Amino acid sequence: LFLKKHKGSNDTSQYHLQALIEAAKYGKKVMVLDFVTPTPQGSSWGLGGTCVNVGCIPKKLMHQAALLGQALQDSRKFGWHFTEEVKHNWMTMTESVQNYIGSLNWGYRVALRDSKVTYENAYGEFVGPHTIKATNKKGIEKLYTAERFLIATGERPRYLGIPGDKEYCISSDDLFSLPYCPGKTLVVGASYVALECAGFLAGLGLDVTVMVRSILLRGFDQDMANRIGEYMKDHGVNFIREFVPIKVEQVEEGTPGILKVTAKSTTGDQIIEGEYNTVLLAIGRDPCTRKIGLDKVGVSINEKTGKIPVNDEEQTNVPYIYAVGDILQDKLELTPVAIQAGRLLVRRLYAGATTKCDYVNVPTTVFTPLEYGACGYSEETAVEKFGEENIEVYHSNFWPLEWTVPSRDNNKCYAKIICNIQDNERVIGFHILGPNAGEVTQGFAAAIKCGLTKEQLDSTVGIHPVCAEVCIQSHLKVTSKSCIHGILG
Amino acid sequence: MGWEEVQVRGYPEFVRTAQSYHGRAIFALFCGDKDAEGRSWCPDCVTAEPIVRKELHNLPDESVFIYCLVGDRAYWKDPNNEFRKNLKLTGVPTLLKYGTPQKLVEEECFKGELVRMLFTED
Repeated sequence: LFLKKHKGSNDTSQYHLQALIEAAKYGKKVMVLDFVTPTPQGSSWGLGGTCVNVGCIPKKLMHQAALLGQALQDSRKFGWHFTEEVKHNWMTMTESVQNYIGSLNWGYRVALRDSKVTYENAYGEFVGPHTIKATNKKGIEKLYTAERFLIATGERPRYLGIPGDKEYCISSDDLFSLPYCPGKTLVVGASYVALECAGFLAGLGLDVTVMVRSILLRGFDQDMANRIGEYMKDHGVNFIREFVPIKVEQVEEGTPGILKVTAKSTTGDQIIEGEYNTVLLAIGRDPCTRKIGLDKVGVSINEKTGKIPVNDEEQTNVPYIYAVGDILQDKLELTPVAIQAGRLLVRRLYAGATTKCDYVNVPTTVFTPLEYGACGYSEETAVEKFGEENIEVYHSNFWPLEWTVPSRDNNKCYAKIICNIQDNERVIGFHILGPNAGEVTQGFAAAIKCGLTKEQLDSTVGIHPVCAEVCIQSHLKVTSKSCIHGILG
Repeated sequence: MGWEEVQVRGYPEFVRTAQSYHGRAIFALFCGDKDAEGRSWCPDCVTAEPIVRKELHNLPDESVFIYCLVGDRAYWKDPNNEFRKNLKLTGVPTLLKYGTPQKLVEEECFKGELVRMLFTED
């Protein structure tokens, strides 16, 4: 075997690719192994990882498709006349989305080749120290050695482990390239994936039900989570709370067919049944770390979760093996976090930099029908960490100007700012529920990183008329300390 | 059977030709018109063509290579010309795999490795 000194890496995503392209720039020989194991339904995709192919990108585009449907309705009140009934075509949307994703896949191929990064569409697994076996889809195996390795294999959707789940249910891995309209859909789960998918499917005009085991959006601010749920309910999404499916059977074959779901209550013995065209499982994602030979090289993983613990330099317990992305233990599962971590890692290894990835105050957005942007602590976590008497919560409802004319959802949008009284009323939590929440939150995240205080926020002049100005003092009301959920504005 | 080349000029002829080869892999190189001496008004096309031609032997069996002259400079500059509007071309030279998002534009066509990758990838 010819020994090559190059940094191999297992699987990839756009963030990972960026890190490798940088490594190549510093003169290192770099190889990428990327391979997608098809879903139980047979779905697969190209280079770029989850975000590009079956995550953020298609999700946001389909969310936009749903928003445009709403905009068409609103437009009538603004004077647009169209006599035809407005209908949505799933195939037209999916084709456009997949086409765009295809251009991204191709773009990465070009970028890698241009940067002299060797790419193999092959499944990588460790077989011994510094050695990896790559198996392509034809079953041909090759061995590679490298000085260092970066694992970024990400996660895949979890299945329920009940009869009929793999045979008949789909996941987000299948949804964005589904070659037929899903029809009447049951979404199982209450994660942001579940709610975002349920949200846009309903927005496209489909009959959608969400089956929730316990709470919505675990880990997120629960007051905000409940407001999101209420909004979805008001907009026609059905919720079945405190039930879990125990069996999925096929009533009729087809694209889509008809499936019968049997579910059991989590609080008693009640059993319910329902029929749907499609059952979408969104109950969580599991790291792809169990079948890549980590035991052969001694990399420890959390046996229960499959996640890989790393130090603050993304290094595993094996010094020449690093990891980034969703597979990391106790780190945020977000594309930009992984990009940042990967890039900084490469700079530290090959360009003499010392900067480590900052995992604090990372902003996020949930693209449910009513979007939710957040940065910093949830209210419950802030109370837990600082004590109720040491935090101040400023909040307000607001009505986007654009929604007034079409008389839409008066007083459903909401913003909340949490401040640490003991630290100059430092802003430690920012939450906004409303249109373009992501766009609004990005700027505030930068301010929070600079140490934004309530006084600085107050002294910032608002822009009018925009939703974001609600975050500036003149539009917020102080809650009474004895009752965090005070009077709404 | 190996690959074959067809030369066309203008949008209608391109579309007719592509449709006639429906079912086969079609690769197309779009260049600016050539004058009586055989030189294109598009300097990047002059650079790219020999590089692309050098890689043609990598084309898959049964595939078709369409060499398409788009028109004169004035036609190309018009933002509403059919190549821009319908095929979404943004520049010449463009080398693409018809019906897919895979393409190389302008300086990307100067790189033999990228041309080879376009011809041999699936």
